[in-house]
Amino acid sequence: MKIRVERDGLADAVAWVARSLPSRPPVPVLGGVLLDAGATDGSEGLTVSGFDYEVSATVGVPATVADGGRTLVSGRLLADITKSLPAQPVEISVDGSRVAIACGSAKFSLPTMPVEDYPQLPAMPQHAGELAGEVFGQAVSQVAVAAGKDDTLPMLTGVRVEMTGEKLTLVATDRFRLAMREFEWKPSGDVEDAAVLVPARTLADAAKALGSAGRSVELALSPTDGLLGLSGSGRRTTSRLLDAEFPRYRQLLPSEQTSSAIIGVAPLVEAIKRVSLVADRGTQVRLEFADGVLRLSAGGDDEGSAEEELPVEFTGEPVMIAFNPGYLQDGLAALHADRAELSFTTPNRPALIKPVNADGEVTPGYLYLLMPVRLPG
Amino acid sequence: MGVWSQVVGQPDAVRVLGTAAVAARGLVDGTGTAAGMTHAWLFTGPPGSGRSVAARAFAAALQCTTPGEPGCGECQGCHTSMSGTHADVRMVVPEGLSISVAEMRALVQTSARRPTGGRWQVVIITDADRLTEGAANALLKAVEEPPARTVFLLCAPSDHPDDVSVTIRSRCRAIALRTPAAPAIAEVLRLRDGVDTDTAAWAASVSGGHVGRARRLATDPAARDRRAKVLRIPLHLRRLSDVFDCADDLVKAAETDASEVSGTRDEAERDALKTALGHGGTGKGAASATRGSAGAIKELEKRQKSRATRTQRDALDLALVDLAGFYRDVLVTHAGASVALNHPDHAEGSAQAAGSWTPESTLRRLEAVLACREALEQNVKPRIAIEAMVSAMHFG
Ligand SMILES: [Zn+2]
Repeated sequence: MKIRVERDGLADAVAWVARSLPSRPPVPVLGGVLLDAGATDGSEGLTVSGFDYEVSATVGVPATVADGGRTLVSGRLLADITKSLPAQPVEISVDGSRVAIACGSAKFSLPTMPVEDYPQLPAMPQHAGELAGEVFGQAVSQVAVAAGKDDTLPMLTGVRVEMTGEKLTLVATDRFRLAMREFEWKPSGDVEDAAVLVPARTLADAAKALGSAGRSVELALSPTDGLLGLSGSGRRTTSRLLDAEFPRYRQLLPSEQTSSAIIGVAPLVEAIKRVSLVADRGTQVRLEFADGVLRLSAGGDDEGSAEEELPVEFTGEPVMIAFNPGYLQDGLAALHADRAELSFTTPNRPALIKPVNADGEVTPGYLYLLMPVRLPG
Repeated sequence: MGVWSQVVGQPDAVRVLGTAAVAARGLVDGTGTAAGMTHAWLFTGPPGSGRSVAARAFAAALQCTTPGEPGCGECQGCHTSMSGTHADVRMVVPEGLSISVAEMRALVQTSARRPTGGRWQVVIITDADRLTEGAANALLKAVEEPPARTVFLLCAPSDHPDDVSVTIRSRCRAIALRTPAAPAIAEVLRLRDGVDTDTAAWAASVSGGHVGRARRLATDPAARDRRAKVLRIPLHLRRLSDVFDCADDLVKAAETDASEVSGTRDEAERDALKTALGHGGTGKGAASATRGSAGAIKELEKRQKSRATRTQRDALDLALVDLAGFYRDVLVTHAGASVALNHPDHAEGSAQAAGSWTPESTLRRLEAVLACREALEQNVKPRIAIEAMVSAMHFG
């Protein structure tokens, strides 16, 4: 391999790929980045790739290729070297078991790793559609918060991605809460409607890496592949899908409500924090809604108790209900809104939390369903 | 050479696995049905019969991308499956003496992933007999309801079938490997390791069907010397003071054997990891990339250390198997039976022993060796167990 490439493009590509590499690679080759010049996929130039068996990351960089080929070098080392290079063209060449990098007067040599042992990079699935990067990034973070962390229940550790025509739906649940976001996107029309389950952590990372403002994100998916592809601004990632049955969640969503409250998010979160401080291990916070007033309380007679009152716009039957304070705060934070609507049926049925806009209207497209905890006595 | 050439002297197993791999391929490309492919397999066999090699070869055949018979050994799917880096083949090798629940949970999570290459997600557990109870429970759940494209390959020694729980065993299709025949071992030593015909035949004939052992004896003169030293012990126990010297020799021989096995392997692993973590670069500031890599290297060294304990145990056990073989040869000579000797190259010694010991005392010596193997398995301190054994060998 012998190529010439611009410094900035190379440094950006390597930095982006290297950041997804495992810090403690399970097998050494996974600590490497693959440099492929005059690439096998037919594209000209250089591709820089990394893979940790779970997520692959690939960036294309324009390059003058004198001699094509593939080589594998430490991602850490290459990232460190490229970020300190002067702003001049970079020459990369493989010589035996080492790679030489020359840039201006700076010269480096890196040991190569066995490229023949490097795992096959997953192929990008078929282009399914696109959407705005910031919308996607926010949606994923709003939903991933409800995903389970118990590795023995794989079906709950994922985010379900449903493509239905012009609508994209993201859902996650750990059985105690469920978060769902729906929005419009631009399907390519080449891929049938599908629903897949993506590990929440990898989807959140990929969305963060690609979901920058003002750029669009492309989704690649085919129901028969085991992968979800995400790409934007010349960067491509694939994530493995979970092969597990997601709970049938639509039947969990309450179809009616007997009361609802509209309240400021920040004052409510502060009050929950203060009140739940007294509760042992934050077991539960009780909310008592009546006309115009929300009374929060936590703790019992023997462990000390705390109470606070907040003004609230409330309609319907008075209700007393209790929640896990952490889950309640997660839901309020995920709204990305100043005000929230909380709606109820009965104290032992799930409550719904939705964002409310400046006009006092519920903003459609997001909901956070929260199971109540049993009230004492 | 296809991947099956690595599976030495197991024509029956290779036939079954090859057929399953063909069925598996039909399932993947849509030309076949689910019949003929199974989601969980248990490979059993005596030590050295190549359980995990067979499992790997099967994994490679499942990932092979070359048309024709699956398992070409040349394509990237085959190569990375055999070298342990394929994205859809995960191997759990317990470095210590048991497999933890945490290790197993991570594996269950892996097994719930769809394969990246569109074929199979393969999970190999090399010593399923060492699963802790919690780990076995975590695994059982996954084996009971495996995702459509996940295959579990469990390996366990056949001399302790009960160490794998009945519930797990009942979910698995069994592949029973046998002790490979000497000619098959000799052939692979010649073809793969380039050993000359005579040495290959000799090493195969004295290895007790242990392929790895045969390879070491064929390729490493020091290992040959250590074996000879161990086999000299039975006839050199004249005085009581010999007991301690011989016990010492035995433990030392095993330790040296083990550290030679570990040494080269450990160093290669450490070098590969260091390179991956940024060592070995030259140029202004290149050394700074190695910052923060010490933790990962230490972790590897810790794993290697606990594996070394295991390797040492295995080496000592091999020496005991050699000794037991010698006493069996003496018994066979007593009986005048025309059975192939374990150590044909020490026939003179076993004949001499048969002339001077009664069959009863030979049997007591053999029993002492077997008792020692058991004691070591129960974690008795090696030196104590070995001294007790050698002294029993002395008194007969
Ligand atoms: Zn192949």
